[in-house]
Amino acid sequence: MKENGKKLKYFLFDSLLWTYAAISLYKIVYQNYLLQVRYLEYHTQDFIFCLITGVVLSLTFSFIPKSSIFRGFSQKSNTPYFKRTYFLLFLFILIITFINGIHFSQISLREFLSASGMNGAKRIFWSLLQPNFDILGESLKAAVETIFMAFMATALAIPFSFILSFFAAKNLTRGSFIFRAVYTGARFALNGTRSIEPLVWAIIFSVWVGIGPFAGMLALCLHSVASLSKLYSEQIENINEGPLDAIRSTGAHPIQVIWFGVVPQIILPFLSFTIYRWDINVRMATVIGLVGGGGIGTMLMQYQGTARWNEVGLLIIIIALIVWAMDTMSSKIREKIK
Amino acid sequence: MMLKISNLKKVYPNGLQALNDINLEVKKGEFLVIIGLSGSGKSTLLKCINKLHPVTEGKVIFNDQEISSLKGEEMRMAQSNMGMIFQHFNLIERKSALTNVLTGALHKTSIFKSLLELFSPEQKEEAFKMLDIVGLKDKAYERVDNLSGGQKQRVAIARALMQSPSLLLADEPVASLDPATSHSVMDYLKKVNEELGVTIICNLHFLSLVREYAQRVVALKDGQLIFEGKPEQIDEDWFRKIYGEKAKEVFIK
Repeated sequence: MKENGKKLKYFLFDSLLWTYAAISLYKIVYQNYLLQVRYLEYHTQDFIFCLITGVVLSLTFSFIPKSSIFRGFSQKSNTPYFKRTYFLLFLFILIITFINGIHFSQISLREFLSASGMNGAKRIFWSLLQPNFDILGESLKAAVETIFMAFMATALAIPFSFILSFFAAKNLTRGSFIFRAVYTGARFALNGTRSIEPLVWAIIFSVWVGIGPFAGMLALCLHSVASLSKLYSEQIENINEGPLDAIRSTGAHPIQVIWFGVVPQIILPFLSFTIYRWDINVRMATVIGLVGGGGIGTMLMQYQGTARWNEVGLLIIIIALIVWAMDTMSSKIREKIK
Repeated sequence: MMLKISNLKKVYPNGLQALNDINLEVKKGEFLVIIGLSGSGKSTLLKCINKLHPVTEGKVIFNDQEISSLKGEEMRMAQSNMGMIFQHFNLIERKSALTNVLTGALHKTSIFKSLLELFSPEQKEEAFKMLDIVGLKDKAYERVDNLSGGQKQRVAIARALMQSPSLLLADEPVASLDPATSHSVMDYLKKVNEELGVTIICNLHFLSLVREYAQRVVALKDGQLIFEGKPEQIDEDWFRKIYGEKAKEVFIK
């Protein structure tokens, strides 16, 4: 009974795989590359046809020994890989996948090496190497804006993350059902916020409070709260629980237990994470500027939009210097406080 | 009677029955030692007494007060009257010995003051006195992670004394110390028991230490109390019963 169930499972998975292979072979390899159809159309009957082909192929292979792909990989065998039928069939599908990939990402050596394209690239690279220092003052001001935007985002995120992290730590929320619910809620909210990129938050906030550093700061801050809380709470989950027991056994209040049992153990890792976060925020602030978050990113977007490559060159140099400086500084400090 | 445990039963959430029907009485000023294999329930018993673990069934009566059902402030009040020291010391490693001792006074300090570590001059003086009792007055401002194992355990004893407890629970206090340091720590416990009149319940591994320090011994096996008596009553037969047929006694001098 169990054996039959497994066979059915392998057959169904194989069918999906072969349907995929049939679609790719028919539409992309046959129609696109061999017939060179200019505008590929995808009809429902094509898919039905491919599905039937896939099921038939899968059924056929399930009767030929050692050629069902999913069964093959789930069984142990001593034959070398290149002598196994199912493995060769798998390689065949892998090759089809690469052909698909080339088709969908529109990879084209012709475009890459075309003379006019090369000339354009040469022009841009050449002007990037001749940065326009006339806008130095203005760009330094924008750079300072970016750094402070990142600083404020990090600083404002600290108190929120600090408090949230205690509720998002598994080992501190074991007590009662209410704590469990708070833990689950906090984790859910944090994961949700973190899975939306700061770039998207910046777009939302630039509509809300208008384009500028404030929108960028809010976006970074929100994302920082989510990721710092997660890092903090993981640190809390890794603490030694001995001191907690000891402080609790003196009859201390739960707040005192956390303050004396937990906080001294986590304060340095927290500091280290926070500095690292500031470093990340400076980089992100630049990118966020591109969508209207203010600072040097917005300036970069404006000059790039009007194809003033000499100015862009200067901005890139400044960005690189800032990122390098922040990176060095933050890793030095984090090394020191380990 | 200082402590009376009746029909105590403890089942962990994972279904493990750690203690089964324990009945035990401890007199004021006594030095009671609990022996038994690892996993026999010694640690659980101590943690049930001071409510670090909730009790599943049964009663713990401490100073005429039933404490196993207490909650909140009343429970903390009862806890503050019992000191506890641990095998791994459980000190705040990054803080000074003095601050660690002062955490013994947390119950008597308001939350706000304790968050700012604003302990009163009287409390500080008291903490110095406790450090003096365990011979570590000169290490008061030393960070605990710079101290040796034996010194750490003495700081832990001072922290427990800071609670001015009537009962001191010691959970294998010398299990991670070398033999010489073990004796020194046990001597301090004896001093606390004899000079300050603090009742002590102590879990121990080595029978030689038990014979030297215990006034009375109880033995646990698989969560049950199987022996109660004087240390010299533990003969070859009892030893086998407590530690299993193949056990051999190891001496620590």
